[in-house]
Amino acid sequence: MLTVIAQDPGVKMRGVVLTTRVAVPAERLTPGPSGHRVQVVDFDATTNTLYRARTDALEDDVFEGIDPDELIGNPQFHQQNVYALVSSTLARFEHALGRRVPWAFRTPGHQLKVVPHAFAEANAYYSREAQALLFGYFRGAHGQTVYSCLSSDIIIHETTHALVDALRPRYVTNSSIEQAAFHEGFADAVAILSTFAMPQVLAFGISRLGRKAGERARIGTETIPRNLLVPERLKRDALFLLAEQFGHELDPVRGAPALRASVQLDPSPKYLARAEYKQPHKRGEIFVAALLQAFVLVWSERLLPKSERIRELDPRHVIDEGADTAAYLLTMIIRALDYAPSIDLQFADFLSAVLTSDARLHPDDGRYRYREHLRASFEAFGIAPQSPTVDGLWRRPRKELRYDRTRHAGLRRDPDEVFRFIWENSAALGLDPEAYTWVQSVRPCVRIGDDGCVLEETVIEYLQELDARGDELKGYGVRKPTDMPPSFNVRLYGGGVLILDEFGRVVYHIDNGVRSRRQSARVAYAWQDYKREKEAPSREGRHDGAFAGLHEARARGPVPWRKR
Amino acid sequence: MTATAPKQLVLRAYQVGFGDCFLLRFEYTRGRPRHVLVDFGSTKGGADPVAIANDIAEVCEGKLDMVVATHRHKDHISGFATKANGKGSGDIIRALEPDYVIQPWTEHPDAKKDARSAPNSAAARMRLYGAALEQLHQAAGISAAVADAFSHAHMFDRSLLAELAFIGEDNLANKPAVENLMTMASSRKRQLYVSHARRKLALGTALPGVDVRVLGPPTLEQTDTISKQRSRDADEFWHLLQAGPFAAPRVQGTRLAPLFPGWIQKGDPSWVRWTRRALRELSVERVLSIVRELDKAMNNTSVVLLMQAGKKKLLFPGDAQIENWEYALGQAWVRKLLAGVDLYKVGHHGSLNATPKSLFELFDKRASKLDDPDACMTSVMSTKPGVHGSTSRNTEVPRRKLADELEAETHLFRTDRLSKAKLCEIIEIPLR
Repeated sequence: MLTVIAQDPGVKMRGVVLTTRVAVPAERLTPGPSGHRVQVVDFDATTNTLYRARTDALEDDVFEGIDPDELIGNPQFHQQNVYALVSSTLARFEHALGRRVPWAFRTPGHQLKVVPHAFAEANAYYSREAQALLFGYFRGAHGQTVYSCLSSDIIIHETTHALVDALRPRYVTNSSIEQAAFHEGFADAVAILSTFAMPQVLAFGISRLGRKAGERARIGTETIPRNLLVPERLKRDALFLLAEQFGHELDPVRGAPALRASVQLDPSPKYLARAEYKQPHKRGEIFVAALLQAFVLVWSERLLPKSERIRELDPRHVIDEGADTAAYLLTMIIRALDYAPSIDLQFADFLSAVLTSDARLHPDDGRYRYREHLRASFEAFGIAPQSPTVDGLWRRPRKELRYDRTRHAGLRRDPDEVFRFIWENSAALGLDPEAYTWVQSVRPCVRIGDDGCVLEETVIEYLQELDARGDELKGYGVRKPTDMPPSFNVRLYGGGVLILDEFGRVVYHIDNGVRSRRQSARVAYAWQDYKREKEAPSREGRHDGAFAGLHEARARGPVPWRKR
Repeated sequence: MTATAPKQLVLRAYQVGFGDCFLLRFEYTRGRPRHVLVDFGSTKGGADPVAIANDIAEVCEGKLDMVVATHRHKDHISGFATKANGKGSGDIIRALEPDYVIQPWTEHPDAKKDARSAPNSAAARMRLYGAALEQLHQAAGISAAVADAFSHAHMFDRSLLAELAFIGEDNLANKPAVENLMTMASSRKRQLYVSHARRKLALGTALPGVDVRVLGPPTLEQTDTISKQRSRDADEFWHLLQAGPFAAPRVQGTRLAPLFPGWIQKGDPSWVRWTRRALRELSVERVLSIVRELDKAMNNTSVVLLMQAGKKKLLFPGDAQIENWEYALGQAWVRKLLAGVDLYKVGHHGSLNATPKSLFELFDKRASKLDDPDACMTSVMSTKPGVHGSTSRNTEVPRRKLADELEAETHLFRTDRLSKAKLCEIIEIPLR
């Protein structure tokens, strides 16, 4: 366990910055701290300075119990803070997915570099090229230095970008606004739920719950009356007050925190069509709002089960239930990534993915009806499951697949074996015969089901590409943008995910083929993007730009998406 | 034609390296000539500013009628800097006692107070603008410092570092010049902070027979009306607030102080080298991308002046780029006026974005539009190649494509073609 700042230095309880301790994997550490997956390098590129790392007692939490104000001035605490939060987030992903999660960089390397004082800029971002998470610092409104590396939601948000990039590298391509919005919304959701899963943070929100309503409720001393625990009040009071307390100083990095923005969105299917929600950050808020809605519905249901007549509750119970709900939801949405298509993700796809992956482990929706609440919340924001089935789950393969030409054991680990399987079943899987196809990953995983039994699965990701000219698009069932020259070269992307059970049989095939009905929209979006880029080339040609620019954009307020 | 209308303009385009300095001499049949100095800034070589200032003093016989400082970039105002010993080029210009000093509204003293609250009123918005300006200078400091810090490292694209250093230097606060300009006019009322307006500037009897109109920069309110796709959020503050997220805690001149002086690791451990190298490369690119935006924002505060003297129209747009032009070009009366431009000071030393196509195409007196191509308009470009932008990215200044077009369509004068011995190009334009 290592001490970290619970939210950010702006969140104080009785004048003291809130700290907490997070669990990190037990591992040998070298100065940095450097572990087997996370390596902290405290180099400041703006001032060209390297800061000293601790050299002794690396595995001990030497900062436990130290005055938080002192911690804020100690760069070695900053180093520990990022190490602990990045490691614990990685551990959470690996726990949820039941396997190791590699980083996205393909050059040999297992360690993500984390740079707590990377540059003098109100920005923090993930860079695939630098294989790093970079946290900036800047001068705050009152002349004090503000460190983005001390804000847990920013750290978790950036780590999530790195992890999603590792699991679904194609999500950074210019496929649709919603896909870009997902990257942001998902990173925000993981950050918010992770902070809620820290009881100290939730306690902080609860401690203010009664005060606002004029009904005194202090932790440990009094109880919280029933009327404050209905979903609407939990959201409007507890979460809203909490959001208000998140350090405003960091707004230039994260914009108005996603929590602050999303908690104010009342459910409505109308946002999706509004012009302002056609920007990735704003659209991501809808995703977060839908998840928060589900969170308060479940939390309230856990506190006030219909079968019991509860009049008031111990605040500690309220907090524990909230933290548990957040942790469960977190696991659910992370696990859903395995069930999400490999390219061109829409919110609707993600909803089907989360429902399906949860149902695999928990066929019964259980006492708290997480799936029911999630689906209702998303639908309240106009997002229905992509799959047309009654329960919103992905459909099972309908055509017979042949397994006699592949070896069962190889399907669990060998991309060439998997490719052979795809080759033999190309028609049954509905793959385009002309497209270039390759297997991107084969990931065996082990998950623990409700009944305590082990669920073994293999997640296979394959991709497809098809090069066509503008005048050939029609032949592939794709609409050519009217102003695209007939000789223009277009690359159509497709891909899919195969989920194999423990016997190596395909249980789900979640695909977005090169000829899918959404290809016309993808081509239209990419074409617009191409034209804008040609007109005003973006400043960064590298992949980094996707994240650096996106965050910079958020700091500046709304700007056209091409700035990314 | 009034009896007071000037008969001839003698324009001097000084050789200032990369920068602008134009002296306009309006000559009349009767009475003394009048003199307007449009910008006086110099970077990357050029003639000695004091020699230029002395030449200006001599030509205008000890009296300037108007000074225009289009915007606060060094390459437009450095010549206005005074020296403690009173012998700076700015001291010489000050002694010419200009009646009027024209600057963009963004230079208004009220815009310089530090304020960070939401802009509820025009005054508050202006103060916020001032705060953004401060941050811009901070950013410039960082830019120059980063370029300096890495100048000895071998892995960088030298042209990127050079650009970084130039933009940084160009944007650094030029305090003596800025302060000199603030108090140079003959009275406070004649320190004019201008924005786009249809009516002519009230200049008393300073420039008889010359009508001066300000086409840019637009005010924030005017900008709002054209930026429909932009949010009207209080935080969205035209172009300059972009400086907001980019402020170093401690900048001393162009030197950046480490955050934790007591914790610096001495030596050069091998395990950090890979990351350090990757980070430095990223850092240069990132800083450059941000300061480019800021630099553009500053260019867009440029005063755009249209002078009508006698029968001729003279256009001096400073370094205004498309975002500044956008509002003016949206007005029918402006487009009508611009159609007849006779002299065009090429915007931003001939860069890609400072002569919008929609502007150039308005000019009716281009050679291809006239029966007698020799009767075409004149253009004057103060520039120096190899300072700004890059040929490989098609952002070189001056942009070759534009220069070719100007050459074909106008009588083009370029200061970079002057021989070293010559202080300025002298262009005579009859106004009748």
